[in-house]
Amino acid sequence: MSSETPFQIDVPDEKLTTLRAKLELASFPNELEDAGWKYGAPLADMKRLTERWKNGYDWRKYEKEINEQLPMFTRDIDVDGFGALNIHYVHKKSETVDAIPLLFCHGWPGSFLEVGKILPLLTASAPGHPSFHVVALSLPGFGFSEAPHKQGFAIDQYAEVAHKLMVALGYNEYVTQGGDWGGFITRRMASVYGGRHHKAWHTNFPIAKTPSWRSPLSFLSFLLTPWSIEEKAGIERTSWFHNKGRGYFSQQSTQPQTLGYGLTDSPVGLLAWIYEKLVLWTDNYNWSDDEVLTWISLYWFSRDGPAASLRIYFELRGDCEDIGQNPTIPMGASFFPKEIIVLPAAWLRKSNNVVFESHHKTGGHFAATEHPEVLVQDMQKMFAKGGPAFAIVPGRTGYA
Amino acid sequence: MPSETPFQINIPDKKLSILRAKLELATFPDELQDIGWRHGPPLADMKRLVERWKNGYDWRKYEKELNQELPMFTRDIDVDGFGALNIHYVHKKSETVDAIPLLFCHGWPGSFIEIRGMLSLLTASSPKHPSFHVVALSLPGFGFSEGAHKPGFGLDQYAEVTHKLMIALGYNEYVTEGGDWGFLITRRMAAKYGGKHVKAWHTNFPMADPPTWKSPLSFLSYLLTPYSAEEKAGLERTAWYRNKSSGYFVEQSTFPQTLAYGFTDSPVALLGWFYEKLVIWTDDYKWTDDEALTWISIYWFSRAGPGAAHRIYSEVAGDFYNLGRTSYPTVPMGASYFPQELLLLPSAWLRRLNNVVIESHHKSGGHFAAYERPEELTEDVRKMFAKGGPAFGVVPGKSGYA
Repeated sequence: MSSETPFQIDVPDEKLTTLRAKLELASFPNELEDAGWKYGAPLADMKRLTERWKNGYDWRKYEKEINEQLPMFTRDIDVDGFGALNIHYVHKKSETVDAIPLLFCHGWPGSFLEVGKILPLLTASAPGHPSFHVVALSLPGFGFSEAPHKQGFAIDQYAEVAHKLMVALGYNEYVTQGGDWGGFITRRMASVYGGRHHKAWHTNFPIAKTPSWRSPLSFLSFLLTPWSIEEKAGIERTSWFHNKGRGYFSQQSTQPQTLGYGLTDSPVGLLAWIYEKLVLWTDNYNWSDDEVLTWISLYWFSRDGPAASLRIYFELRGDCEDIGQNPTIPMGASFFPKEIIVLPAAWLRKSNNVVFESHHKTGGHFAATEHPEVLVQDMQKMFAKGGPAFAIVPGRTGYA
Repeated sequence: MPSETPFQINIPDKKLSILRAKLELATFPDELQDIGWRHGPPLADMKRLVERWKNGYDWRKYEKELNQELPMFTRDIDVDGFGALNIHYVHKKSETVDAIPLLFCHGWPGSFIEIRGMLSLLTASSPKHPSFHVVALSLPGFGFSEGAHKPGFGLDQYAEVTHKLMIALGYNEYVTEGGDWGFLITRRMAAKYGGKHVKAWHTNFPMADPPTWKSPLSFLSYLLTPYSAEEKAGLERTAWYRNKSSGYFVEQSTFPQTLAYGFTDSPVALLGWFYEKLVIWTDDYKWTDDEALTWISIYWFSRAGPGAAHRIYSEVAGDFYNLGRTSYPTVPMGASYFPQELLLLPSAWLRRLNNVVIESHHKSGGHFAAYERPEELTEDVRKMFAKGGPAFGVVPGKSGYA
């Protein structure tokens, strides 16, 4: 295995001082009476979080914890047409030698931190379940990975980086788990590298093409199928997201830099923009203030700043319907009721080789944070002895 | 004439110090190579503007100019269910006693400042054209008007405030000119108060719904009519706006408070968001840095704070999509079409649904027509109400002539 360059987060003091200075000057809008969460995070929450961030929140403490708990490295990965980008990633091997190599891919406003709770569970060794060697990268432009410097860095390029990282680490054959952008990127990986390298993929963000009148039979069945209670709730949730929840998407996919100026200059602005998602996209998850602030601080202190993380939306050109060629490798899907898009599983099965499904009663968009054990159990079931994707990576069954 | 409470803009020193302190700490993102305006205002523009705002831009100078140029006042206007809101407005009477009372209504990210190019033109006296008494308010939550304190302040309420202001000033019968939100508000006024109070309305932002299959004859003509080159260009501009320039609209109409936090905490956030519109919504208008900074400073120093104005989007959003089902006004309408407006639809669609008595199609100009093309827009309004014009004498006893 090629040598790895260890990495420790060590945000310069100057950045902490600047943050503190800006927070000292924080100014707040008023709020309409009884606004609650109707228009964004409540003023009381924002004031409390800002006060904590300024006085009491100890970045160095959490920086140290991350450094201790997550073995991190950096490596240059060459991307065709874009040169080498320095990629930051977590890499932890299981004690089980033949553990299954697994790439974990985050999205927005997530990060590599989302692997934190599932890492010990995935790498744990036991005769009763498979184990994984885990790689969790920071996507280019996120966390401590270098951002691309020119236009055109789209899904294919993110997929290329993630794939090349696995190969560089000696994992010529691997499986993936991803949600949000991680779902799109691992899906593209499955289409491009599937079979030869990418052997199976699991997602907690199962996106499918909606049947259109162009495919009359499935459209007809769409109209006629009596939906289950779960599916109805999912369609309602999806409608909510489509009608009320796409503002950020619309802005980020058309004028990301316009927004980026504000997110870079104002920690309060960044907090508002991301905190809103942390609450509205989860299923009553009890965020502690410090947990929120660590998540936001990661964006604030990221290598290329928060504005860089928005550009992935622009490069998709706002067309989420165009999710590319259908992969054929085995797919696993975990459905969580408060995910932002929840579509009937039948639609997913139409365009994917779905070998594993699970439908949960609680949980939202950030499954690895909200329900780490449940998510890992799903992964373990998919790849277990007797499971639908057992031994999909030759010689690496995940068992001793 | 009812008494008026004069108003002068006088931003407290403390607010200027806070602005300066925040600008001193300004931090900027990087930028992709050769990106130009594709992702938003270029970094070089933003850095230059912030530097100027911090060092060199003299708010007091422009504050003084506004105070000298625009006779301003405030007045409490009671809005049913919302209590009294203190409204800031410009009011200038023509020397022509029987000038036509005209309400000018701005939109977002505009303000009362948009009247400044047209004010002396509209009020000027001449035997050759009609004159107007002009009222230009700051909408609630904008400029120096108080904002609503609770949810539900929608189009009806904006229309009510504006109408009641005209009545309070003794203008029981009047005409209107509006663009952007000003269009929607004056249209609601014309529908609700038209005939009795609103006698005619003019707009530089003519929005119309396309014919639908529900109205087969016009839908058929819609399908069959070959569009002129101007109409094709207009539809392309409209498509660009809908696909590429509507992010602000979706966010503002769903999570305005999320944006409010950034706008209130960071002048750079405000500048980025607003400056983008000033440039891409106009027709190559040559903004000076100070001009753009004054426009944006009005938002920064506004009475309700920079986080309040765009609540209009979320409060009206539901109503907005019902526009097709709104009652269309029957009073005479005038429309001015400027090629870099955001929504440019075939004028046949407008005529189908409104009592359009005059139209003009310009070869240049954009969304902020009153600011970009004050002479042309004034000319359009004058033509509508001139002797021999289609709306001459529409306000009894106030023909606009001596």
